[in-house]
Amino acid sequence: MKKLAVVFLALYATASFAILEVTILKKDENAFPIVISPFAVKGDAKQGEAIANIMRDNFNRSGEFNASSADYIVNSQINFDKWKAEKIEAIVIGKLEQVSKNIFNVEIELIDTYTRKTLYAKKFAVHNSGIRRITHYLSDQIYFALLGVKGSFDTRLAYVTVTSMGNGKREYRLEISDSDAQNPQTIFRAASPILSPAWSPDQNKIAYVSFKNGRSEVFIQYPFMRRKTQKLPYFNGIASAPAWHPNGESLIMTLSKDGNKDIYSYHLKDEKLTRLTKDVGIDTEASYSADGERIAFTSNRSGQVQVYIKYLKTGEIKRATFEGSYNAKAVFSPDGKSLALVHRVDKDYRIALLDIATKDLIVITDNKLDESPFFSPNGSMIIFASNKGDTGVLSVVSILGNQTFELASKAGEVREPNWSHYSK
Amino acid sequence: MLKITSLIIATVLLSSCSTTVEELYQKVAAKPSVVNNEESVVAADSSRFESQEYNGNYVRKDGQSSALQMATAELKNTGVQFVLYFSYDGSEIDEAATQAIIKHANFMRDNPSLNLRLEGHADERGTREYNLALGENRALAVKEVLGLYDLNSRVEVISFGEETPLIQAHDESAWGKNRRVEFIYQ
Repeated sequence: MKKLAVVFLALYATASFAILEVTILKKDENAFPIVISPFAVKGDAKQGEAIANIMRDNFNRSGEFNASSADYIVNSQINFDKWKAEKIEAIVIGKLEQVSKNIFNVEIELIDTYTRKTLYAKKFAVHNSGIRRITHYLSDQIYFALLGVKGSFDTRLAYVTVTSMGNGKREYRLEISDSDAQNPQTIFRAASPILSPAWSPDQNKIAYVSFKNGRSEVFIQYPFMRRKTQKLPYFNGIASAPAWHPNGESLIMTLSKDGNKDIYSYHLKDEKLTRLTKDVGIDTEASYSADGERIAFTSNRSGQVQVYIKYLKTGEIKRATFEGSYNAKAVFSPDGKSLALVHRVDKDYRIALLDIATKDLIVITDNKLDESPFFSPNGSMIIFASNKGDTGVLSVVSILGNQTFELASKAGEVREPNWSHYSK
Repeated sequence: MLKITSLIIATVLLSSCSTTVEELYQKVAAKPSVVNNEESVVAADSSRFESQEYNGNYVRKDGQSSALQMATAELKNTGVQFVLYFSYDGSEIDEAATQAIIKHANFMRDNPSLNLRLEGHADERGTREYNLALGENRALAVKEVLGLYDLNSRVEVISFGEETPLIQAHDESAWGKNRRVEFIYQ
């Protein structure tokens, strides 16, 4: 916990930037109904209210819950019959007690209104600056207690914003934020395009593509270590589309140093480059499965743009997509069973889910130019970039398709989303 | 006089390298026409982002020497295309495009101190990283023709993918203009 608080202090020390506006576009009214009561507070009352609000927003964004508020509830006064009559299946209650200027004692309890049993309870001290982070952590715990699956709340997003500065000039910013788009920070800005940010598995580094030297190159930044930036060796041609090996020791990326655009793995410590594909066509947009045994990539080797999977143990490459004339930028679901990808439907580009084994493909979005899908770490949601009106926004859709919310910027376009792994 | 000589050399070269060029033409003949002939000059600054952070290794048109500007202006006045356009997901060079590239090849032979940067671009459809690769393929296809004139060492290829569209719109006409390779002398 101490470690979390320290990380958070560092975050707060930097200036804050325009926060993306979060709008729930479609809500599933049949979602799991729960009540998250305002916390009882001794001391700074704002914090107590904040915890319950952040938590409620988390659960509502997830698409799997319909979280409402209630008048302040204390444990001894729970009217179980009332909640059952209102079909509320679980309630969250809590207390917050200020013990010094910056230290709070937090108590939280999750109660099943049918069995009247406590499903989760926790009590601890937290530094003021860590309350938001702790609230995401607690949201994950409650989500797990109710669904048996970990939540994706105590995680971060990375994305690129583009703002028009007049005279045809643009400012590109690489930003990171909490999973609820709060605490945004700009970690890199440039007048040239930024592409493909990718959180490292340990959540300490971000790989991305920048044109700041006039051509596409891959960089690695340590956003929490004074934004130290590491440039990979110079490769002739394109260096692009970085993705991390799940062990965090190497990156795969697209290089065209030998003319063809192929997938290479670059080991950061050994500085060793290994070629993973060799084809006269375009091979790009590679990503690893969570077990590190497969990579999915986009290739036009068949004459059409399709997704292929390479099985790294055997070296075998199999075509994964057969439906439609354009399938690209696939990412594995955390369980490795499906791919989220960009699928062309007539003239539109949409996000689809492919079951790798059965080859069933389901289109889950309905816009004109959707791209860059990425799974939440628990696999329950997919974030992607979309065009709305004349600007770019990020959308998040639950894989069941019953919930969507949108992240938009008043300042301009938002694109190239990436969702971090869990914190360690 | 020099020009005429180099044109003759080019023609001779064209016929002496006939197998390669023929292959090229055959490849092209099988494909539908991809080049739009109407556009001849790159709009002054609409295609590129600001370059204040380029540390000098990104030479911009407005940073070019006056001799270079005069030479390229002269070439532009002859109606030679400085932008070639491509079909959706395509990087094939057709005959008209080949003729335009040959004029550039001759120009480079006449101006041995000039180097050429070919910038490949894609339209916004499809994924950004694929389009980055596609833009490079387009520029490489142009370079391949220049390579027949032994100019490879003077030609640099860069792809910007779909990141710097010439036309900021979301229709067929804009996409057609954005799928392009630009010739930039430096």
